[in-house]
Amino acid sequence: MEELDRSCSYLSGISPVWCPGCGYYGILSALVEAFADLNLPTRELALISGIGCSSRLPYFVKAYGFHSIHGRGLPIAQGVKTANPDLTVVAVGGDGDGLAIGGGHLPHIARNNVDITYLLFNNAIYGMTKGQFSPTTTLFPITKTSPFGLAGEAINPSALAIVYGASFVARGFSVKKEHLKDLIIRGMRHRGFSFIEILSSCSSFNTTDMNVARIIKNLQMVPEDHNQEDEIEALRLATDKEKINLGVLVRNPRPTLGDKFQEARQKAKGKSPVTVETLLNQFA
Amino acid sequence: MHPDLVLRIAGESGEGVITIGETLCKIAAREGIHIVTFRTFPAEIKGGACMIQVRLSERRIRYHGERLDFLICLNQEALDENLPDLKEDGVLLCEAECDLSGEPPGLTVYRVPFERIATREIGSRISKNIVVLGTLSHLLGLPKNKIEAFISQRFARKGKAVLDHNLDALQRGINFAEQHLDKKDSYKLPKGGEQKKLLMTGNEAIALGAAASGLKYFFGYPITPASEIMEWLAVHLPKVGGAVLQTEDEIAAICSVAGASWAGGRSMTSTSGPGLSLMSETIGLLSMAEIPAVIVDSQRGGPSTGMPTKTEQSDLLLALYGSHGDATRVVLAPISVSDCFRVTALAFALAEKYQLPVIVLVDQALSARLETVDPQLVERLPQGSRLCVEPGDGNQFARYRLTESEVSPAALPGTLGGEHMVTGMEHDELGNFACDEETHTAMTVKRFRKLAAIENDPLAQDLCVRWGDKEAEIGIVTWGSSAGPVEEAVAVAKNLGISAQAIVPKILNPLPHEELKAFLGKVKRVIVPELNFLGQLATLLRSTYRIPTIGLTKVKGVPLEPSEIVEKIVEASATLNVRSRKLYGRAG
Repeated sequence: MEELDRSCSYLSGISPVWCPGCGYYGILSALVEAFADLNLPTRELALISGIGCSSRLPYFVKAYGFHSIHGRGLPIAQGVKTANPDLTVVAVGGDGDGLAIGGGHLPHIARNNVDITYLLFNNAIYGMTKGQFSPTTTLFPITKTSPFGLAGEAINPSALAIVYGASFVARGFSVKKEHLKDLIIRGMRHRGFSFIEILSSCSSFNTTDMNVARIIKNLQMVPEDHNQEDEIEALRLATDKEKINLGVLVRNPRPTLGDKFQEARQKAKGKSPVTVETLLNQFA
Repeated sequence: MHPDLVLRIAGESGEGVITIGETLCKIAAREGIHIVTFRTFPAEIKGGACMIQVRLSERRIRYHGERLDFLICLNQEALDENLPDLKEDGVLLCEAECDLSGEPPGLTVYRVPFERIATREIGSRISKNIVVLGTLSHLLGLPKNKIEAFISQRFARKGKAVLDHNLDALQRGINFAEQHLDKKDSYKLPKGGEQKKLLMTGNEAIALGAAASGLKYFFGYPITPASEIMEWLAVHLPKVGGAVLQTEDEIAAICSVAGASWAGGRSMTSTSGPGLSLMSETIGLLSMAEIPAVIVDSQRGGPSTGMPTKTEQSDLLLALYGSHGDATRVVLAPISVSDCFRVTALAFALAEKYQLPVIVLVDQALSARLETVDPQLVERLPQGSRLCVEPGDGNQFARYRLTESEVSPAALPGTLGGEHMVTGMEHDELGNFACDEETHTAMTVKRFRKLAAIENDPLAQDLCVRWGDKEAEIGIVTWGSSAGPVEEAVAVAKNLGISAQAIVPKILNPLPHEELKAFLGKVKRVIVPELNFLGQLATLLRSTYRIPTIGLTKVKGVPLEPSEIVEKIVEASATLNVRSRKLYGRAG
């Protein structure tokens, strides 16, 4: 009960706008429980999102929240973390937000190793605009904007993140709340860019792709002896056609963007302090 | 002695043409001479024709000069291309090999075998430009020791051999000139002032102005002609604890600026037209979420990729209105290099104080030109900071509280008790999504009333520059770098006996209504010179003040020339006593 109180203290009191049966309730619950477990002060927490059902999440959490524009949560989060490295920065967004309109940002946030945690809610559909296909739609090909079937193949978000060089990649499932909470905690503890794909069913517009019964039937936990520094093996697990592998796929710490900025400051620093006057003297 | 000297060096890219010009500028600036330069950039990455024009003057100038007093040509192509710009009684210093058969009779010509001296006597073709400097030393009275000092400084790091080589080239240039060139013209380096001047480009002034205003985080994407701002900051901003990041595109740049600024760090990006187009959606977010940001747009020929290395002032309407919805922003336009510095400082002050995006419009010509500035320009910079709350009062923090001043106190992330939402959705005072009619109206009015408050803010006063006779009936309104040629044109017209006056607002949104109304109420004709086809400032003035205007537009990729403006003044003057509305073309 005390635990429940503690995680509830991270809720803003605003009721989520999500449909009944939406998997996102489970994700919200796992997220606030992770915050409670980590005992994070709400004032040091920054939640950044783009546009879409999942991007509404910051309204429901007590924290500093930034609900921005479609596809741009990641670069905004990069700016936030750069300006205040003491903040714990969590970016959230959907498959359309992160892989379609905002798909150009993921490789760069990953290679820059920005020290943030990114939760990609993958429900394989555009829910907020009521049922158009997304870059991850596959088993549910007939949507409002694909009446004769899908033109393109689906993107595998975790596989992309691995190939882009994300230093932490994990896959969770909204129904497996305890497991998801554990992944979020590990992701937030990881120093660097943590990418967590969260499979979640859209109860209104696509219950096929992320069908709960099918996922439960086919899921498999990443083996305990999986070498998290082995990206090739991680890619095999992420792209497994038979099983849906859940767990930490990659954990490969390396210097973060913040570390690189610090390094640049050290290298740039001269013997004497720099003032506007010294900068001005260059032009004399 | 001439108070003013307009000199141009032309040749092939790679011949050291720009180095000659910059050396001359550096030495003259140290003598306290005022300088404005203009240079063209070949579209090729390597090679192509290039030139630098240097105007040296005893007095403060804002324009690089129209007709040349002194032309230096390093090859035939440069001569053919540039000779028409030389005054009839001007001075030509050229490569001895050049064919001068069609040369106008009034010129003073000096021929020097630069190529032969460099290749045969010195044995290094690349030292040709230093030989040119040597001859210039003799012809213009540039003190030899000053050139030597500059060369020593410039080549010191390259080792003694290289340095000696260049000093030898300088001496040979001087020797040739002393032995073979009989000084027949009267041009000399103009008289300098007491005080040494600093020499910088518009882009450098913007970067320096930003650093002096407490800029901490810069995010940007390379683009001509704005890249030098990011390049300069990349070297220097880390020294003061800041950071510079080249992002994957302009959208990421402006979004990172939004994030860093919300988190409390002064943040900025710089770009050109294509980048500003991409940033438009985020400008709306900054307006809606009330986040400070400084965006510099160095305009180039457009639309689309347009002419990346050529100048134009065709992004005004994009800067004023770009982004869907009623998106508020401030638009500033400096008119000179020293102005680039101070206006950038003003941009930060206004952005922080009023929590909104501020766009600074410059153009390729202003970004790239070298100009002298006074070292005192750093004094009394415009100051403005974000109003922030004290930590934790127990109540839920209302980020968008409606206040008398329309500025809501902010809580920087990390502040105890300040947890809140910022959002691009319409929102109530708490930042929660609200789409009822009262809220959207109240919040839209709030955002626009911040602009109204800026009009009355002491920070935004005295942002109009005026030239000419204040009783004149011919009025000129212009903006940005076109101010320089307008200032000259007003002076030229006066010499022709035509009285004209000009006003140049450095703030284009919100417009300085009081000063503009007073000006427009006084004059009988309004000429609006600008570098675009549509007449973008004219469009703004006509719709705002319901006045007829006489457009003077130009889309040649180069700045306006004073003579083009004078011609319009003369035309307008001839109509003063004619009662005809037809003169105004599409007048409303």
